[in-house]
Amino acid sequence: MELEGNAAAPRAAERDSARRIYFTLAAIIGGLVSVYFVLVPVFGLNLAFHFYLMLWITMASAFNVASGFSGYMPFGYVAFYGVGAFTTAILVQKLGFPVLAALPFSGIAGVVLGLLFAPTLRLSGIYFAIVSLALASICRLIITNMPEEITGGSFGLQLGSRAEPVLSFYVMMLVMLLALGTILWLSRSRLGKALRAVRDDAEAADMMGVNVVRVRLYGWLIAAFFPALCGGIEAWYTNVVDTETAFNTLTTAKTVIYAVAGGLGTVTGPIVGAIGMVWLDELIWRQFPRVNLLILGIATIALVLFLPRGIVGTLLRRRPQWRRYIP
Amino acid sequence: MELLVLNGLVNGLIVGGVYALIGLSLTLLYGVLRIVNFAHGEFVIGGSFLAYVLFSSLGLAPLLALPVAAITFFAAGWLAYYVLIPRLARSDDPEIMSFLMMYGLSLALAAVMLLMFEADSRSIDYAFTPISMKVGPIYVSTARIVAFGVTIVISAALAWFLYRTLPGKALRATIMNREAIQIVGVDVEKLSAFAFALATGIAGVTGVLIALVFPAFNAFSGAEYSIIGFIVVVLGGLGNPVGALIAGVIYGLAEQLATVFLPQALAQIVGFGILVGTILIRPTGILGWRVQR
Repeated sequence: MELEGNAAAPRAAERDSARRIYFTLAAIIGGLVSVYFVLVPVFGLNLAFHFYLMLWITMASAFNVASGFSGYMPFGYVAFYGVGAFTTAILVQKLGFPVLAALPFSGIAGVVLGLLFAPTLRLSGIYFAIVSLALASICRLIITNMPEEITGGSFGLQLGSRAEPVLSFYVMMLVMLLALGTILWLSRSRLGKALRAVRDDAEAADMMGVNVVRVRLYGWLIAAFFPALCGGIEAWYTNVVDTETAFNTLTTAKTVIYAVAGGLGTVTGPIVGAIGMVWLDELIWRQFPRVNLLILGIATIALVLFLPRGIVGTLLRRRPQWRRYIP
Repeated sequence: MELLVLNGLVNGLIVGGVYALIGLSLTLLYGVLRIVNFAHGEFVIGGSFLAYVLFSSLGLAPLLALPVAAITFFAAGWLAYYVLIPRLARSDDPEIMSFLMMYGLSLALAAVMLLMFEADSRSIDYAFTPISMKVGPIYVSTARIVAFGVTIVISAALAWFLYRTLPGKALRATIMNREAIQIVGVDVEKLSAFAFALATGIAGVTGVLIALVFPAFNAFSGAEYSIIGFIVVVLGGLGNPVGALIAGVIYGLAEQLATVFLPQALAQIVGFGILVGTILIRPTGILGWRVQR
């Protein structure tokens, strides 16, 4: 008995210290990121660049819940974003909601859409990816063909003179911190562990008493909520929504690429990936605007071929012992 | 109304033939290599642009562009295979990663075509004489009839190849069981390269046919054809060449008839609806033929 106790005590102590380092690290990173972004408008740095940086961090991190944690590849992820954008735009423009009151409804719309798509969760691999892609196209076509009085048809909707760049910047920051906090919680929580177990082997998880359907649904709804909010805030920020940009496949592509570049399945991965790639994208855009798309394509190919686990994923594979400390 | 329906049927058959070829090459790729080729539409449109360049700069008739496209794209596919695929196999989930990689390739190819040909729609001003023919009570353009003839010849040749020759049988065997065929002593690596090249070659030829069948194409048309290809392939059952041929024709007929009865946007939604419905209800496709893993 005593021997056992002695052996367990140092291990528990070690686990405690690992946890302390983990959360300290998360708090330091979170604190630094918050302070940096809070100061952007104060010092008059490039507001648009940082707004989109936060947007992509949020998108990539939320996508990570669906892919890294749950094992799905929703190639129609833009559907949530687009529906969120149109929800805010319609509520503000047609029903006269104040923007801040409309935004939560974007999130709700994302969750509702996620519930509608929930039957597809029983698919896996490539079937899920293709169905998701088709569903996003259906959403775009339906909204494009709704009466012009509601969605503005192919011209889209304008929010009028409601743009408040700095305020929308801080709201975006709030949403980003909410998303990162949720994912940090998820990665340590019972739900997160259940999600990973279901991803790796649904039958085994079922045997262990995990409610596979419910766990998958919860993960999916978290992943649906944040892009819808992003869509709403972006509509507010740019003041205009139309189906071509709100449902642009490139939005999905960038989300996936940024998340994969950092490394799926880790909390920090999509953040690192988004920061690195958005910065690179901006750099390329400024230098060679004509070949931007070409370089994005080539970068994607190179990423899959040479760094399929992403930056953080590769690092953790080289140094598995760091896994306990790095969120 | 009857004339419209008949028109829809004839054109559906012609368009369906083109879709069948897209589906056939796409399904070969998936079956043999487990690659979901998002860039397939760009390969196809690349063929259309090749025919366009050959015609506008050398005056080469589209029919003569067919063999040029076949050879060029076959060679390009062979090369692309050795650059892209062997490394891909090393990732954790090659099937999903292939989707992402091919999406990148599709972006890159579309961007290249955009740089070369701008964003305008292009078409080939080549006219057959007579410009149209009477089929029963309706008129069909000669270009479309010629394209349909070519489609049938290519499908027949491919069917003969897949079912009557040894390399063709080896290809089908690879689709059925990739491990077992290696035991029998087939060089799967070489065979895969061949399958990739063959699929790319068919895509290039299909592109030439698209230049004949459809009024215009541009650098961004590719995505549309990729999606149609996915619908056809899923309908026919992933990795099933015969299923893809049948599904292509069915989809072409459905699409053309739908435009007779429904507004165009609704017809598109129906297409995607068919895709989602098939996967959810009957993932093995209309023939119910399951690829072994």
